[in-house]
Amino acid sequence: MPIGSRSLLLTLAATALLVAACSPTSSNADAGQARPNDWSAATSQAQGQTVSLWMWGGDPQANAYVDDVLAPAVAAEGVTLKRVPVADTQDALNRILSEQQADREQDGAVDLVWVNGENFRTGQQSSAWLCQWTDLLPNLALTDPQDPLLSSDFGVPVDGCEAPWHKAQFTLVYDSADVANPPTSFDELEKWIADNPGRFTYPAPPDFTGSAFVRQALIESSSSTALDLKADEPDKQSVKTLMDRLESWSPNLWRKGATYPKDIAQLDRLFADDQVSFTMTYGPATLDALVKKGTFPTTTRVLPLDSGTLGNASFLAIPANSANVAGAMVVANAALSPEQQAAKADPQTWGQFTVLDTERLSKEQRSLFDKLPVSKIVPSFRTLNKNADAELPAVWVPVLERQWRATVLR
Amino acid sequence: MTLHTMPVTRRQQVSTSPRDRRRHLVSLLVAALLLLPITPLVAWSFAEQWTFPAIVPQAWGWPEQVWNAGTVAAFATSFVLATFVACAATMLGAMAGLGLRRAPRAVSTAASILLLAAAAAPPFALAMGATVGSLQLGVAGPPAVAMVLVVLALPYTTFVMRAAFAGYDESLEEQGRTLGMTSWMVLRWIRIPLLLPSVATAALLAFIVGWSDYIVTVLLGGGDLITLPLLIAGAASGTGNEQSLAFLGMLAIAPPLMMTTLAFGLARRYLR
Amino acid sequence: MGPGTGASVASNGAALTHHSRRPRWQALLAPAVLTTTVVLAVASAGLIRGIDNAAPRSATLPLTDRPEFSDALRTSLLLASVSTLIAVVAGFGIAVIIVRWRGGRLVAAAATATIPVSHLVGATAFALLLADGALLSRIAPISSTLLPPLVAGPWWIATIAEYAWKETAFVALVVSSVLARHEAVLHEAAATLGVSPGLRRLRITLPLAAPALLVTGALAFAYVLGSYEVPWLLGPASPEPLAVWAYRLFTDIELSSRSDAFGVAALTTCLALVPLLVAAIGLRRLERLS
Repeated sequence: MPIGSRSLLLTLAATALLVAACSPTSSNADAGQARPNDWSAATSQAQGQTVSLWMWGGDPQANAYVDDVLAPAVAAEGVTLKRVPVADTQDALNRILSEQQADREQDGAVDLVWVNGENFRTGQQSSAWLCQWTDLLPNLALTDPQDPLLSSDFGVPVDGCEAPWHKAQFTLVYDSADVANPPTSFDELEKWIADNPGRFTYPAPPDFTGSAFVRQALIESSSSTALDLKADEPDKQSVKTLMDRLESWSPNLWRKGATYPKDIAQLDRLFADDQVSFTMTYGPATLDALVKKGTFPTTTRVLPLDSGTLGNASFLAIPANSANVAGAMVVANAALSPEQQAAKADPQTWGQFTVLDTERLSKEQRSLFDKLPVSKIVPSFRTLNKNADAELPAVWVPVLERQWRATVLR
Repeated sequence: MTLHTMPVTRRQQVSTSPRDRRRHLVSLLVAALLLLPITPLVAWSFAEQWTFPAIVPQAWGWPEQVWNAGTVAAFATSFVLATFVACAATMLGAMAGLGLRRAPRAVSTAASILLLAAAAAPPFALAMGATVGSLQLGVAGPPAVAMVLVVLALPYTTFVMRAAFAGYDESLEEQGRTLGMTSWMVLRWIRIPLLLPSVATAALLAFIVGWSDYIVTVLLGGGDLITLPLLIAGAASGTGNEQSLAFLGMLAIAPPLMMTTLAFGLARRYLR
Repeated sequence: MGPGTGASVASNGAALTHHSRRPRWQALLAPAVLTTTVVLAVASAGLIRGIDNAAPRSATLPLTDRPEFSDALRTSLLLASVSTLIAVVAGFGIAVIIVRWRGGRLVAAAATATIPVSHLVGATAFALLLADGALLSRIAPISSTLLPPLVAGPWWIATIAEYAWKETAFVALVVSSVLARHEAVLHEAAATLGVSPGLRRLRITLPLAAPALLVTGALAFAYVLGSYEVPWLLGPASPEPLAVWAYRLFTDIELSSRSDAFGVAALTTCLALVPLLVAAIGLRRLERLS
């Protein structure tokens, strides 16, 4: 066949393909599916739905828990759970925002997202999340409505826009082989850093953990009256004191403070390779698995600070344009059930702290938690949570990050 | 140059002069340097525990975390996507490469700039814009991803093929015809053997674009396409995943490598 | 048409017999140009819409006035130029080895094995090799005292090395595929005429490879300008190249930063278009010469 007409045919075929691809996609759910009014409507609507849960894919235990424990449990209720691994929760948010910008109000690709306070706030800024739905979940009754960690996420009121999943505590982690007398306060930590130059560093904000460390340092560096949590901005003097303090640490930090690890993964790698003696995490649940795997040394320990550390909860949020709202609600409810929360709290499975209020559980449900193996490395939540500080308002986060990058980093 | 003096046997000249031995040594060194960065991946794929200061892993083991159905599915999805991108981009690129040579100068320059422009934009910007745009047009995820990836691969395929056609001596075809070859024989014995290395290179580059893309797949695909790069990016963002990461990396290298070996083997067969 | 083109008349005479079957350039270019135009147009429209719809920008400095901008620009240009320069020079040398030397096939196989390694995996591999406490410092502990910090160091050594490594293989592969068939014959013809090897390289190999070198160099330069994963994994926290800055703004929790991110992305695109423009114009000129 002559080449000329062959290429013409090709162009025609390509155009046809283009036109075909541009035809509106058949929505995979009823367009304009009404949000269920009560729980029985939700469970019946959820039958046969496929829920796409977008969550950070960097924790193999998390992936295994969702695939092998949670997914079968919701399958028994008629919902198929599909896990979409992303390198950063922000990718999920970007997808939702793109759909918003394209005026896709109904069949979004994202049905459920594992969010932290920062992403939650970003979504709230653009009304990305479905709200006022968590009251429908029967298992929500097992949580304490007065729990400050569950009613406000980084200072942003939850307002029924996200369902709690697990609690987290910011913890410092150290290698007991290197640190003979572990510091018990922030000031003692400062002294240890000065005595052991080059063995401490923290991830550069805007990394989530690094940002948490800077916030922790802010709390430690200011008097209790100076920080008004209701203000839109942190007190300028406190911030200045903080930045001066962190800058004074620079000469004694890893690489003399010329650079900082870009994210927590890089800091953890330094810790694992014995280049620094401390690391930190907002999810101490991962420590058991890392030590067991041999990534972290067996002498890894958690450093409890006398004055307590920041604590918060992480949640599951449903985007407002999800096509499988009922199914997503069923998944969120199942994730909140005592059976799932206990399975998740087992250090062998994932080790995440529960959001449930043990007082509200029946005796058998409570026994699920009592039976959990105790971790050698991670103390109980009660110990970690002692004197816990509430998270700082989310509006403060970008301010602190910008200030840090402008003063300490450059 | 005639058909008879086509240089097939150049490398088969046997010679062990010191110059050749030195050259052989340098070649080995260059090859080793090129392969050096891949070596940690090979070792890490089977290292369950390998911390400082051990030179050899403290514990060996099979990468169980990634040895599951999810990885196989992602591998298959990546393969299908990459193969499509390779075929489409090579075909379009070959035609465009030839067309650029034959077109008048102004058109050729303008078209070149357009075709190269896709390589200029940062991929995540392109992905964001294309996501919004394709959502508005109502295009489904996977076809949109395929199309964007083809366009991202076009700069590479077009110009590899353009360079190939630039070096292509059409008088060879004339000689073949005067010798009595039919069009099909000209295609089989002259055109294909001479162009095959470049086509293989172009196809390889296009395959890699489709095979290793993360941001376009995750944003445009809308969760429908879970490919190998998504698994790799997820593992890279976590702690203690070196073994999984290395193994996935090795897995990612295997198919393109096999395909290239196949293509060059075929090329050698053609040249006999 | 004058007497000098007598030869071409003769060959065109033979060509004319099947001139009607030679595909017209319009038909050849159409599919690729059409597809590219559609995708670029849709993407641009989406981006503009994205900038418009992003939360109202707070009263912040325009991008070019911010202190990060000059750092970012300088760093991006440094990374791109150094790695592209290394890639083009080394890639040309390796292409010659592949085409002409006895060990060429081995080198070709090694270069081909490098191509399928994505930059993310490659950067991870370099980190596993060159970071503090990584393989190099374990095998040769003296290197950590003798050498400057390779990963996340002020000289961007690991980052440049990774880009140079991948781009060298890319350049070598493309250039060698162009040189493969024809260069050898011309080379040997010149050798029989008594032309020295160096001169042969200069007047025969280089011009033949020049178009490929130009385009691959331009593509490599543009790629390095727009890529963020490698400097993210292997570079220091500050200064950041343009692409890293854009990505950080893009994933910022403040929605208003997204429009800034698109701004930086647009700036980077304009910057990256320059070498591509040079390549596009230069290509045509070079092809006329050969």
